[in-house]
Amino acid sequence: MKKSILSAVALLALGTTAASAHITLETQEAQVPSTYKAVFRVGHGCEGKPTIKVRVQIPEGVIAVKPQPKTGWTIEKVKGKYEKSYDYYGTPTTEGVKEIVWSGGSLADDEYDEFVLRAYLTGDLKVDTTLYFPVVQECTDGAAERWIEIPAAGKVADDYETPAPGVKLVPKK
Amino acid sequence: MTAIARATRAMLFAALLGIASLLQMQAAFAHASLIGVEPVDGSVIAAAPASFSLSFSEPTSPLSLKLIGPGGAATALDRYALRDATLDIVAPGGLANGTYVLSWRVVSEDGHPVGGSSVFSIGAPSANAPPSEAELVDWPVRIAIWLARLGTYVGLFLGVGGAFFLHWIGGRSRTATYFGTASLSLGLVAVPVSIGLQGLDALGASLSVLSDPIVWKTGFGTSLGSLASLAFAALLCGLLAFRLNGLGGRVISLIGLLLVGAALAASGHASAAHPQWLTRPAVFLHAVGIAFWACALIPLAVAFVSRSADAPMVLRRFSKVVPLAVLSLVAAGLLLGVIQLGSIDALWRTAYGVVFLVKLALLVPLFALAAVNRVWLTTPAEQGDARAVLRLRRSILAEIALVVAIFAVAGAWRFTPPPRALAMAAAAPASIHIHTEKAMADLTITPGRAGPVRASIVVMTGDFGPLDAKAVTLVLSNPSVGIEAIRRPATKPGDGTWHVDELTLPVSGRWTARIDILVSDFDLVKLEDTIDIRP
Repeated sequence: MKKSILSAVALLALGTTAASAHITLETQEAQVPSTYKAVFRVGHGCEGKPTIKVRVQIPEGVIAVKPQPKTGWTIEKVKGKYEKSYDYYGTPTTEGVKEIVWSGGSLADDEYDEFVLRAYLTGDLKVDTTLYFPVVQECTDGAAERWIEIPAAGKVADDYETPAPGVKLVPKK
Repeated sequence: MTAIARATRAMLFAALLGIASLLQMQAAFAHASLIGVEPVDGSVIAAAPASFSLSFSEPTSPLSLKLIGPGGAATALDRYALRDATLDIVAPGGLANGTYVLSWRVVSEDGHPVGGSSVFSIGAPSANAPPSEAELVDWPVRIAIWLARLGTYVGLFLGVGGAFFLHWIGGRSRTATYFGTASLSLGLVAVPVSIGLQGLDALGASLSVLSDPIVWKTGFGTSLGSLASLAFAALLCGLLAFRLNGLGGRVISLIGLLLVGAALAASGHASAAHPQWLTRPAVFLHAVGIAFWACALIPLAVAFVSRSADAPMVLRRFSKVVPLAVLSLVAAGLLLGVIQLGSIDALWRTAYGVVFLVKLALLVPLFALAAVNRVWLTTPAEQGDARAVLRLRRSILAEIALVVAIFAVAGAWRFTPPPRALAMAAAAPASIHIHTEKAMADLTITPGRAGPVRASIVVMTGDFGPLDAKAVTLVLSNPSVGIEAIRRPATKPGDGTWHVDELTLPVSGRWTARIDILVSDFDLVKLEDTIDIRP
């Protein structure tokens, strides 16, 4: 009995480690259209090196992006044109933030932190699909981890080594 | 006239048909491709399957279907059904656990043969990698190829050579003509048949599908096609020369003899060796030399056996010119041997070398007999010494037997790649082309065998455009022997390719190669396929 509890704990611990090695989103489900608070959880550096930059690519259909300021980190908002015009509460929107970069800080490999942004998920996004936010994690000595793999049809994030963090889209209630 | 003429006409027609269909084959460009296979390539299934299935992009018909078991034994799969573009194959019963290779070769409606293999395991993968199809020998096909080659040699050397001898040296008689024509007829059958057999060999198919036109097209498409065409022309010249007299016969028989040299120089291991400006003329000289020497044997034997009055005169004329032929044939033969063997120990270390030694061993008594004939028997025989004539007759018959034995041994070379080619094959790279919609890559691993290797990768966009990748990573794994991913970042030396140096592949077999191309910061393309690494 004791043994089986131990192995269950071990399994749970291992499972957690595997998950926290990835960069993931805290809230795994969002309604469209709605405002979504994306919390990127960074639980690891790259190959033991501290993280010094986190870059998040904003997928098409996600507008009005506002990063949450973070002590010790500088925020850069890379802006550009969208592929099409999106409706933001009646206002046609054709350009905006396409990438957020947090830099200047240092997050040790054995520390945990969260990087937050808020964005509007437009009604053009398809429900019952997963929306992926590709993230590039840069560390000292030029090391980097790229959480940018978007699963092909019929595959899930677990099939990949470095999947992009994703959020499942559901219809507005 | 008639029987031979009819046969000749039929064979000419067949040859023309072959050429016509070859041209047709080159015009076709689309061919069937495999779109699905059950069991899936690389899969591990719990229990032995009752059937296999191959789905193609268009309807096909099978040429060769084999299942290669964990022990390396191949089973021909002959129970199958075609359902549209899908081939359902009944699996043999009692399959043990381990890794199997389903090897297939089909021909699609456009007449283009395509082949491939799919690996799957029952229960768990075998400890040893499954053998490749190349290691398996189809003995009936092999023996048939060898017999056809022997027939070709007899036709060319004894038949065409015989015609030349009768016109230029003498000894013409009904019996000599009969033997010559018989040799030519044997050649006229063996040469076309060898095309079909070559097709079977190239396709890895068995004798049962010999009647399939695609087999003949394929055979004709190999380098044997040119050999066969020239050999066939040489045989027809021989046939014609037997029917002609005077200058016409002389000219035609000389053309036939030169065609024999040209035919053998057009194909085969020796003609493929470098430098070609040296090897091809050497093969030509060797073949003409053999034809000239061997050609004498039957007419001489006939002349002495039939106690022909002009036999001594014929022998004297032959004796005068034969040293020249023997000299050129030996010199060219030695030169080719040196090029092909590369080193002395290849003589006993390789199958090619062993064949070479056996041939030499047969040549020694042949030369001895020839020397005895010339030095001790020729002059007394010319003077009418009955005992010398008798001995000479026996000696010539023995020479004929030895010559045929040498042809038989030389025919075995068809199956033994020369050491030169073996060394080249061992150093040859293994390469694959992976093509997807987003990107494609050419991966070359040099040498393509287990041990220290270098990899070179060329990446392009899916539509053959330049792809300026930020980074390329090569990931190699061999799950069947439990080798997890070996991951190496590639460097870009500036010539447009990506390189991975100092890579070691510990075992041979089928490896999984993945190429991760970082197109931009947020865009990674992964290309994956298998690559076969030789031992």
